Amino acid sequence: MIERPRLVALPGHGERSRPDVHFCGHCGRRPQSTDIQPASRVCSRCGLGLLVSAPPDAAPSPQDPFLLVDGQLSICGVSRLAEQLLLTSETDVVNSHIGDLLVPADVEIGGPESLVNLIVHAARGPGETHHVVLRPAKEYGIRFWARIAPCGPPRAALVVLADGRA
Amino acid sequence: MRTLKTSEAAAVLNVSPNTLRAWERRFGYPKPQRTAGKHRLYTHGEVAALRDALQEGLSISSAISRARESLSSDTSTLIGALQAFELDRADAAMEAALALRSVERSVEEVLLPSIREIGERHGFDSAPWAFAARWATDWLQRAQRMAPPPMRPAAVLVGDATRDDLDPDALALKALQLFAVRSGARVLVLPITGVAGLTEVLGAFAPQVVVIAGAHASDDDVARWAYRVRAASGALPMTLYRRGGRADAARTTARILPDSAGEAHRLVLDILDGRPRGVAAPAEDEIAQPDDRRQVKAS
Repeated sequence: MIERPRLVALPGHGERSRPDVHFCGHCGRRPQSTDIQPASRVCSRCGLGLLVSAPPDAAPSPQDPFLLVDGQLSICGVSRLAEQLLLTSETDVVNSHIGDLLVPADVEIGGPESLVNLIVHAARGPGETHHVVLRPAKEYGIRFWARIAPCGPPRAALVVLADGRA
Repeated sequence: MRTLKTSEAAAVLNVSPNTLRAWERRFGYPKPQRTAGKHRLYTHGEVAALRDALQEGLSISSAISRARESLSSDTSTLIGALQAFELDRADAAMEAALALRSVERSVEEVLLPSIREIGERHGFDSAPWAFAARWATDWLQRAQRMAPPPMRPAAVLVGDATRDDLDPDALALKALQLFAVRSGARVLVLPITGVAGLTEVLGAFAPQVVVIAGAHASDDDVARWAYRVRAASGALPMTLYRRGGRADAARTTARILPDSAGEAHRLVLDILDGRPRGVAAPAEDEIAQPDDRRQVKAS
C-alpha cells in the first residue's frame, strides 16, 4: 500500500506563543487601549501614524528609529526618529525604493542583494527576525545595526535602526 | 459636489478634528475649501478615498498617496473617452470629477492635463487633438454659462493673442476666463488684432486690469493693441499670460502670470483687490465662491 503524501508541521512553526504587539508607525508608541485590535488604525497619541503590529521581540520601542518597507521594496513609512536620523521627511521618500535611502554597509563588495532578500523575506516569507549592518545610501562612515522583521497589516518589512548591536 | 464639515469628515475617518487639521498641515491632504466664515469644507470624495486607503496603508503618507492616485483615475477615464471619441463618456468623466472637486480643481486637475496628454500623444496638429480641444472648449463654455452673474465691481479685459481655438494656449485662456467669471468678475475677450472701434468698447466696459494671453500674435501687434487700450482707458495694470519666450524678451513692465490658470487667476484677483506685489495669494479653495460671496453681501 502506498502512503499518500501529507503535510506535516515543522517544529517551531505555528507555535508562536506571544501575540504581536501594536505600535504607531510615526511615534513608535503603543496604543493606549489594551485591546489587541484597536478601534481606529490612527494613533490616538500623535495622530500622524497608523498602528502596525509586529512580533514582540522585533517591535520598536518609542526610542527606536524605524522604517516600513513593502514587498516591492517601496518605502511605506518612516518614523519620526528615522526622519531625524536620516535627515529626510516621510512625505518626500514614501513610495521611493529602499535603496535610495539605505544600502548594506558592504554594498560595494556584496551589492544590495542581502538587504533586498531580507526585506522580501520579511514582507513575504515566514518572517523570522534578521540582523544586518546598513548605511545611508549617500553617506559614508555611518553604520546602523538594523533588525528586519515582518509587520503589518498589510504585510511588510519592519527595519529598526540602532547605533550598536542590541 | 457633496461636502463635509470638519466634524463630519473626522467622523468618517474615525479621527479627531485636531488630527484632521494636523494632516492638512503636514501632508496637505485632505485639502478643504473654506466657507465665507472661514470654516473648512471637505469634499466627500477626498475623505472617502482616504478612508478606504487608510484601511490598506502602512502610514498616513502612503494612504494619502494611494487616495490621490485613486482620485487621478478621473484623468485616465477622460483620456480614454476622448481617445475613443465618445463625447458622452467624456462628459460623464467630468461629472465624476465634479463629484469630488470644485469646478476650478476639476478643470485644473482633470480637464486640462487630459487634453494636454492627448496633444502630446498625437500631436497638437492632429485630428484627435482637434476633437479633444473642441470638446474641452465646448465644456468650458457650458460651465461659464452656468456661472452666476457678475457679483463684484471688477472688469478684466483679455487681449487674445492665441492662434485659434486649437491653439493649446487657448484652452488655458478659456479656463482663466471661466475662473474669473466664477469669482464674480466681468470678463471681455477681444482679439489682439482688432483695434478699430476699441475706444468705444473700452469706454463702455471700463476694464481694471488687462491680460494679454497667447504667444501667437507678434510683439508689434501686441504693442499696437496695448497702446490703444492705454489711450482709451489710461494706465491700467497690464499682465502677460502664456506669451512664451516673448514675455521674457519683451522690455515691458507688464507682470507675467504663471502658466497655471488657477495661479494666474489668483494673481489677477490680487491685482483687482489692490494687494501689493509679493503678498501671497490665498489658496484656491480659500477664495470664496460666488455663492459664498452672495451670503457675505446679504449678511
